[in-house]
Amino acid sequence: MRLFVQAVILGLLAGGVYALMASGLTLAFGIMRVINVAQGVMIILGAYVSYTLFTHFGVDPFLSVLFVVPVVFVLGVVIELVFIRPLRPSEREELSLLVTWAVALGIEGVLGLVYSTTYRSTIPSYANAAWRIGGFAVLQVQVYAFGLSVVILAVLGVVLAKTRFGRAVRGTVQNPASAALLGVDERKVAAIGFGLSVATAAAAGAVYGVVTPFNPGSHYDLISLLLTIIVLGGMGSLPGTVVAAVLMGVSQALLATYISPTSAKLTFFILLIGILVVRPQGLFGAVERGKL
Amino acid sequence: MAHRRGGSLVAVLVAGLMAACSSSSGASSSSSVSGGASTAPIVIGISLSQTGDFSDPGKAAMRGYQLWAETVNGSGGILGRQVQLKIADDASDPGQAVTNYETFITKDHVDLVFGPFSTLLSVPSAQIANRYGYSFVEPAGGGPDMFAAKLPNVFFVQPAPVLACGDPFVNWILSLPADQRPKTAAYVSLDDPFASPIADAMQAKFEAAGIQTLARTIYPPETTNFTPIVSPVAAKSPDMWVGGTQSDDAYAQVKSMISLNFNPKFLYLSNGASSPVEFPSKVGASNVNGIFSCGDWFPNSNASGNQDFISAYTAKYGGDAFGIDSTSAEAYAVGQLIQAVAAKTGSIDNQTIINTLHSGTWPTVEGNLSWDQYGMPQGSDMLVEWIDQKLTPVYPADVALHTPVSPKPNWGG
Amino acid sequence: MRTVSRSGVALTVVIVAGLAAFPFVFQANWVVNIAVFTMMYAGLATAWNLLGGYSGYISLCNAAFFGVGAYAIANLFPTSGGPPGSTPFLILPLLGLGAAILSIPIGWVAFRTRGVTFAIVTISLLFVAQTLAFLMRSFTRGSQGMGIGVPRFSVATYERPFYLALLAIFVFAVSVCWYVRRAKLGLTLFAIRDDEDRARGLGVDTEIAKLVTFAMSLGITAMIGGVWAYYITYIYPQFAVDPLITIGMVLMVFLGGKGTLWGPLLGALLLVPAQRLLAQNASTARWYLILYSGVFLLVILLLPRGIIPSVQDLIARLRSKSDRDTSPPAATVPTVRTEVVP
Repeated sequence: MRLFVQAVILGLLAGGVYALMASGLTLAFGIMRVINVAQGVMIILGAYVSYTLFTHFGVDPFLSVLFVVPVVFVLGVVIELVFIRPLRPSEREELSLLVTWAVALGIEGVLGLVYSTTYRSTIPSYANAAWRIGGFAVLQVQVYAFGLSVVILAVLGVVLAKTRFGRAVRGTVQNPASAALLGVDERKVAAIGFGLSVATAAAAGAVYGVVTPFNPGSHYDLISLLLTIIVLGGMGSLPGTVVAAVLMGVSQALLATYISPTSAKLTFFILLIGILVVRPQGLFGAVERGKL
Repeated sequence: MAHRRGGSLVAVLVAGLMAACSSSSGASSSSSVSGGASTAPIVIGISLSQTGDFSDPGKAAMRGYQLWAETVNGSGGILGRQVQLKIADDASDPGQAVTNYETFITKDHVDLVFGPFSTLLSVPSAQIANRYGYSFVEPAGGGPDMFAAKLPNVFFVQPAPVLACGDPFVNWILSLPADQRPKTAAYVSLDDPFASPIADAMQAKFEAAGIQTLARTIYPPETTNFTPIVSPVAAKSPDMWVGGTQSDDAYAQVKSMISLNFNPKFLYLSNGASSPVEFPSKVGASNVNGIFSCGDWFPNSNASGNQDFISAYTAKYGGDAFGIDSTSAEAYAVGQLIQAVAAKTGSIDNQTIINTLHSGTWPTVEGNLSWDQYGMPQGSDMLVEWIDQKLTPVYPADVALHTPVSPKPNWGG
Repeated sequence: MRTVSRSGVALTVVIVAGLAAFPFVFQANWVVNIAVFTMMYAGLATAWNLLGGYSGYISLCNAAFFGVGAYAIANLFPTSGGPPGSTPFLILPLLGLGAAILSIPIGWVAFRTRGVTFAIVTISLLFVAQTLAFLMRSFTRGSQGMGIGVPRFSVATYERPFYLALLAIFVFAVSVCWYVRRAKLGLTLFAIRDDEDRARGLGVDTEIAKLVTFAMSLGITAMIGGVWAYYITYIYPQFAVDPLITIGMVLMVFLGGKGTLWGPLLGALLLVPAQRLLAQNASTARWYLILYSGVFLLVILLLPRGIIPSVQDLIARLRSKSDRDTSPPAATVPTVRTEVVP
């Protein structure tokens, strides 16, 4: 029972961070029907920027989020303008997958050139500090990372629900044609939306390096996890993504504890195949365009 | 991850042209190389990973090779001939390593080839060298599959095969009086050719000696969250913790133990903990004391030419002796062996190298080396321990600079 | 729907004869070594094109079946078994058949989705396959890697049998494509690509067509994986199940021309020798990922239909200009979405 509770706690904490990483992927797909395979490398990019700020200037990784987010936002807007916008709408879904994969390889190559492939981790003074509550050890950084994820997700939720930009996004997700008729500039929504979606990933990345060692190739592990989460969550549903992410985090931790660490790596396989057989549209998915 | 690359039409045409040229000129160029008292440089082909999974050890090996080439050229070369290294990148890809050694041998007609880094690349590369009658002296590639391939041209330039890495620790534990020995043990290893097999071999020996196994866990590469792995094992409170580790996973195991406040009496980590700079920086210098690991090369060792190697290394690359990766020493030792063969026989012919190295004992910075017929070294690694925050050889006695300290002090002590 | 054109046959004969003669004309081992990898990718890309080019379904799990073939050979012919000679080549058809059968339940699950979700599901399958390759230690020995018996082929022509085996698989793959394009299956695939719902509405059995094509494509891929493993002699998960093999074959198809018969070969001829030679040079190797991604982005953004269709368009346009008096240009310019010969 003790181990069970410990595993669930760890799984929830990890799942919260997964939710932040995957929410951007869902957002981009909802708005533009674009699958951004570079989402994983954006997380790693965020981790490297935060690592550099910490090792050279002593900036706390949680503080560096404030720098990482705008930088990666701009990068995201540029990627949208240069690489995604020129794709013909009829082929955009499929080709975006390949184009963003190529972008991911390019960024991986640049990171390899700059930082080499050595594993890095950002180690602030509190990196190993743990709280023990009723005999359960919890790393403080994991709690902070979880808290940061919840805060950013909440901000994202408020932006989508309350602001003019949010209304434009939701309108575009539901029906791009009628949104355009109502005066929504779809191109602007797409650029800003894509920027926002990768910026959230990079925010998660800024603290990812404190919890986990990373190198330029680490994005493959991340993207395979994130893609599974958004398929599980139903492709384009934000609540679905959050639930799927938490489900993934908890089931991974439980499998690692009770069966074996290696079987935890297959969690997503079992979940994915199971869900696809029963519900091809994912946990929360509508087959066609719907709400975010 | 794995990688390949793209390019242009021009290169294809160039390849075709070069093919045409080489098939016509191949015979003449190879005869000029083998012509006895040549003063042409000795060209040595080496495939190293400058990108991909093995790029860090690949670069460390390159530093060792280049340092050796500079040193030997500074003292007049080998048999009056300068040494020229021809280094190609294999991106950690066995297919590219195969292409590289094929190219060295059948296109460039190099005089010698040296080994790449990692068994995974060495096995296919050694097969090619063997096919063309080249000797294959290798700084890495000491996994069991290398020796199972039964290639007569292979020489693994480390004191012991990789799987024997845990032997000095086992021998020391079993040399302790029964009441000081651990009663129970746990084995927590990375699924890697250089990690879990070491722990498996140690487990078999400890079990035979009556030390009870409480847990055995293997985790996959790229595991990042270690608390779910370490906490169930720590909950069983084994006296001795054997980690079949590689690098980052060693740091992560230690960090998890600290956060769980679990302190075993004996803690052995096969690799990673032997990294003199990286390990304390990752787990905190105050947490390293009492941790055991294994090493094939050590800055303080008085092996042949070691102090020359260290002073040349620090002069060329900076830093101090404790910042030198042992892979650089292994690569340097490969060169030392070729020099020694040339000094003894007056030849660097591949068959001469193969025949000569198969007999006798050869002093290098890696210690005194000798091999069986398939290149498996016959010596033993060292047991090292962190004592007063310094990595110190402690066993066997003939190389020890300190006696082993046990049981392990508390974290932070 | 299309008769065999005389120029098409002539082209086929010239290409196949040229490829078959290559290792006898250029004998240097290192050249044939590069040719082995080129032919490997030509076959992989042609197999990918069968599903991806004709039906529009982007399958990204092909490298998983490359690994299935590789590990099958490694298990059948371990180092301890001694030199296997030509037996591994002879069992390839059985291996391909086995892999094709294995792919059917996987395809059944994956084809419950379509469009971009299908691509994501298959990419997840690829990552899962790599994880499985690490985990199924009794079949793959995990990250320890597996050795394969080394044949005692004559040193001077050591590469030739591997090259010829890969050429045979490539010719088989091209023949399958050629046959499919003129059979009812091809019509079904094109109908799926253009509008799957409409095709189903018209009573076309799209399920079976997709599954059969998927199985053929992956069966061929597995055979090539088997030859690769035998050639390399030592395999491990990162390279036996490699996402970059998938992306490599997709890139070559896009470069040469999606849905064309010879486009995948052209893509492989252009990219593979260049990549292997660039790789050796330490100063360019550092840039390889960036170059790779750059080539890919340029191809997709500037040449989205690939070389062969673009060149054919150009020729058609030039011809229509000179024939303007006799025939209206609209009749000779192929429409964008139909496939073109060769």
